[in-house]
Amino acid sequence: MAEQTFAEGIAELEAIVHSLESGNLELEDSLTSYERGVTLIKELQTKLETAQQKVTTLLGDVDPAPVEGEEELMV
Amino acid sequence: MAEAVALTVSAALHLAKDALRARPLHIVGEVTGFKPHTTYRAYYFQLKDEDSVMEVTLWKNVFAEMGVELKDGMIIEVSGHFDVYPAKGSMSFIPRHYKVAGEGDLRAQVAALANKLRDEGLMDATRKKELPWLPERIAVITSPNGAAIHDVLRTLARRYPLADVLFFGTLVEGHGAASGIVRALQTADRYGPDVILLVRGGGSFEDLLPFSDEEVARAIVACGAPVVSGVGHEPDYSIADMVADVRASTPTAAAETVVPARDELLGILAGHLQQLIIPFDQYNLRVDALQQRLEQALPGKLEADVVRIESMRMRLEQAIPTRLERDEMTLANLRLRFITAGARLVTEPQIALTHRGAQLEALSPLKVLSRGYAAVFDSKTHRVIDSIQKVKAHDQVTVQVADGSIFTLVERTEEAEMATRDNSDKNQKE
Repeated sequence: MAEQTFAEGIAELEAIVHSLESGNLELEDSLTSYERGVTLIKELQTKLETAQQKVTTLLGDVDPAPVEGEEELMV
Repeated sequence: MAEAVALTVSAALHLAKDALRARPLHIVGEVTGFKPHTTYRAYYFQLKDEDSVMEVTLWKNVFAEMGVELKDGMIIEVSGHFDVYPAKGSMSFIPRHYKVAGEGDLRAQVAALANKLRDEGLMDATRKKELPWLPERIAVITSPNGAAIHDVLRTLARRYPLADVLFFGTLVEGHGAASGIVRALQTADRYGPDVILLVRGGGSFEDLLPFSDEEVARAIVACGAPVVSGVGHEPDYSIADMVADVRASTPTAAAETVVPARDELLGILAGHLQQLIIPFDQYNLRVDALQQRLEQALPGKLEADVVRIESMRMRLEQAIPTRLERDEMTLANLRLRFITAGARLVTEPQIALTHRGAQLEALSPLKVLSRGYAAVFDSKTHRVIDSIQKVKAHDQVTVQVADGSIFTLVERTEEAEMATRDNSDKNQKE
């Protein structure tokens, strides 16, 4: 399984908060959700604090090197 | 008049050449026959007015120095001189400088284009795309030189280093800039980024003209990803700003627009942590209280419940962060919201456990007896005597105290009058 992205982690966390908020969970399930939520938060904090931005250059200077004209100039 | 010595053609043209080169001129005319892509060292085109037309030879180094794009139909002012090309006997004007004639006209052209595109609906708010909250791929289009790219990269790295940045370098002013920007937009969009930043630092009205180019405007609109413009400083909006999905005032502001700040996200995470805790916060206290009651009530067969509750309590203690961590959390409105949710979470288990605790107390009066109270039973029926109506004189009763039973006879009964019933009961038993 591919590593969860930050956005996916946030989405899962929000779902957990929502289900806890609803009050419909059994106590055991609440605790399990709670523990998963805390784990997620710690992972996401670590991601935010340790991430290094990846920069890829895909297009350089577009000014094409001109080919020297072989034709005789008018002046 | 004596007949002059005939000149050779070459000599004649050289005379003309010298005469023309010695006479600097300043000329205004309309560009025609301009071909932007040439492999020659000069651009060859014509300047014309209603009646006449003249050849122009614009050296590429002069063109690059001026940094003003040329198109057929533009009115320009050129400074330079004519020259003669003897091999063909032709004459051409050699500009040393040129500029767009009448900036007012250019502004009018840009305004006219803006109106045209607005009429087509390209600037409609309903057409504009929403920005993603947490983009994973951010395309940046700007010059590889200059401050703008560094401002953007620095801002993105500081705020949201989780996103991958794809950089597409292009000229952003002068000849070739508009077509370069179009190509960069098309290329960038093919990589499927979550958002595209189109930025450049500030400049003069002419410098920013490529951002008011019609093809650039249409390329922005054609992008599948939302486009954020950040073209610096000029008080006039460029057309790119008007058709972009979001307009920012500078490259840095554009970068700030597309990603949340790291601190903001850490705050949100802390808020979520608090949201997770609050339902258990009250629950933990309730469990503690109920556990105490259960232990005191001599649970026996309910020992399993105590063990279960104890294990939950330990899980809660391990899972819930320390007070110090929790002090960092500050989202008061979320707290309120979740206190409500927490109360709901607590109610049902609480009712169940309270009920069970009450049962235990009924089953086990020993705790009460140990404090000096006694229970009185009918010796024959073993029913609890809780009323003078249940006994009469000389009945045998059993008095149970903490460490055993006393067997005795009822002497007499007396109804309580002013005294409370509790007191009268006690009097009877004594």
